[in-house]
Amino acid sequence: MLSDPAVQGLHGDAAPNGAAPATDPAAHRAAEDAVRARIADLESRFGDPQDPANPLGAAGLLAADEAGELPAAGERLLDDLVLNAEFVPTDLGGRLDRLDTLVRVMRQVFRRDVALGLGYGITSFMAAVNVWTAGSEEQRRRTAELLLGGSKVSVAYHELPHGNDFVRNEFRADPVPGGFRLNGRKEVINNADRADAYALFSRTDDSPGSRSHSVLLVERDQLDTERFAVLPRYNAVGVRGCRLSGLDFTDCPVPDSTLVGARGQGVELALRSFQITRSAIPSMAVGALDTSLRTVVRFALGRELYRRSVMEIPHASATLTGAFLDLLICDSMATVGTRAVHLLPDETSVYAAAVKYLVPKMLTDTMYDLSIVLGARFYVREGEFGLFQKHVRDLPVLSLGHAGSAACQATIIPQLSRLARRAWFSGDEAPQSLFRPREALPGIPFDRLALASGRDSLSASLVAAADDLPSGSPEELAVQALVMRLLDQLRQIQEDSLNLSPQDRTALASPASFALADRYAVFLAAASVLGVWRGAQGGDDPFLADPAWVAAALHRLARRLGQRPADLPPGCEARVHEEVLRRFHERRSYDLYDTPLAG
Amino acid sequence: MSVPATDRTANNEHTAHTVESLSSWLADRIALYLKRTPSEISPTVPLAEYGLDSVAALSLCGDIEEDFDLVLEPTVAWDYPTVEALAGHLVEELGEMGGENR
Repeated sequence: MLSDPAVQGLHGDAAPNGAAPATDPAAHRAAEDAVRARIADLESRFGDPQDPANPLGAAGLLAADEAGELPAAGERLLDDLVLNAEFVPTDLGGRLDRLDTLVRVMRQVFRRDVALGLGYGITSFMAAVNVWTAGSEEQRRRTAELLLGGSKVSVAYHELPHGNDFVRNEFRADPVPGGFRLNGRKEVINNADRADAYALFSRTDDSPGSRSHSVLLVERDQLDTERFAVLPRYNAVGVRGCRLSGLDFTDCPVPDSTLVGARGQGVELALRSFQITRSAIPSMAVGALDTSLRTVVRFALGRELYRRSVMEIPHASATLTGAFLDLLICDSMATVGTRAVHLLPDETSVYAAAVKYLVPKMLTDTMYDLSIVLGARFYVREGEFGLFQKHVRDLPVLSLGHAGSAACQATIIPQLSRLARRAWFSGDEAPQSLFRPREALPGIPFDRLALASGRDSLSASLVAAADDLPSGSPEELAVQALVMRLLDQLRQIQEDSLNLSPQDRTALASPASFALADRYAVFLAAASVLGVWRGAQGGDDPFLADPAWVAAALHRLARRLGQRPADLPPGCEARVHEEVLRRFHERRSYDLYDTPLAG
Repeated sequence: MSVPATDRTANNEHTAHTVESLSSWLADRIALYLKRTPSEISPTVPLAEYGLDSVAALSLCGDIEEDFDLVLEPTVAWDYPTVEALAGHLVEELGEMGGENR
């Protein structure tokens, strides 16, 4: 059920959410040190990615992919570290207290292998979020116990005939005395063959509409083996190591205690859980672009063409700089999305959908740009650059899954006119903490995520910043000019949103509505980038505090919006390019965290 | 479970609303979403049976908010799935709001 705070979130004049957490600076520093140590430990156990003898280096990962298996050494390593504890809230004995921390840890896995990140673990997290959000004490305790014991939990929403239109799902859990009787199939389900429990999205009522489904958490041991079967494995283009199969039930009884939340709450629970996973999972996948960028930088520095290194060819160099900027844009937006879950839970329905729409799309587009620099090497499946084509095949899986791009745009479309009427140009700006990676956060408010919002503090932050930007250097002046253009863009988005016809505010809206949702998502990315730069002032990262990257990033986004902004001052690209090289040579990650890497 | 919105728009004469007037308003509006005529929308048939999808249902909540100055939970069209049920719920909500304001 919607709780009162969620409803209060619809007030235009309510107090800002997300009171500061009650940690003192010393406790926060200790917590941050512990996270860094965990990441460093994981990275050192993964070992040197260039070592051909390392089963978790590029060569080993490619061999596992060719064999259609998850790397066995990777699964063992993650078992040893009890990676599943990252998915279990601290009050249930796990390590989950912040989504951005979960993302940072998982990014190290996705950096190596998207299939391992997805297939070892994150699908268990997707299933568990339903239980953390609406499960009973016993379900929460039991799910924690299973995960901490190393079990997998499958998230079984998907039925091939219905795609993301899961309100039409037919898998049935018919209420019978004492429980439910399961009938039907769930298809393309990760780990269906080896999970110890399944979160089953099931029809519990014949009526059409959004109150006819429920989520059941079913343990495999409870099932009558005569009445359920695991379907054959699917072969996929990417994430070949993932064990994708399905489940088939025939009159299979399960007890009442399997119901998660209330009967008929399934759609609502799904929409709430998506607000957590839609921001977090694309953010993890930023790690795969990080590795790909590093791979192509290595290529560009090492290969000679026309008597110079590829890196000296202006087009190649500009492409790499652009890819780094795209990565920073994606990370800014995803970091804001995950932090918003903690700080602005009544607003995340829109932000999470925007992240899930735009970030996977940008990651995929950027991989394509990089592939042009790699040239024919991009087509080679083995050797030094072979990992690149694996990431190219693996990444699109993120745009599929439970919420495809269009489904995410459809979450945004019906909210546009409300935001246009009451939020844009009038609401309060977001707390600064929204934009500061690593800063302390309150806990994850699973019960306070609202299904729709009448506020948009992220956009309000850009509007509020516009009058207060520095204008000393050419780079700062460029930022200022770009922010003015973005304000115009928001005005245009507002006008177009107010003019949407009723038919254009349904799932069958015209392409123009979907294009409007796209422009709004790009605008939110720009607001995130600007916020991260402003939040970095006075901090300990001189690059993030420098106006060069934010000017260049906003310039890219303005062009993505079809604008033709003035050329950037020449210092901008040079500064960003210098950072591309520094991070390559010093083995630091290309994201907002500048994390030390094994190579 | 409703809260009055902050900015006043049209249609805020709460006392004038009846189940009949709201039913007719809803049928008009829903007909626009479905590209049908209002007379085709029976007050007792679930809206989902006409093909009103969850996206449109959320948009409908936004329309109600705009025209009646009433903020609703987005699940309201799921819990009151027919024109008749929704109109009855709105009358109650509008009545409560009028009472609070006076």
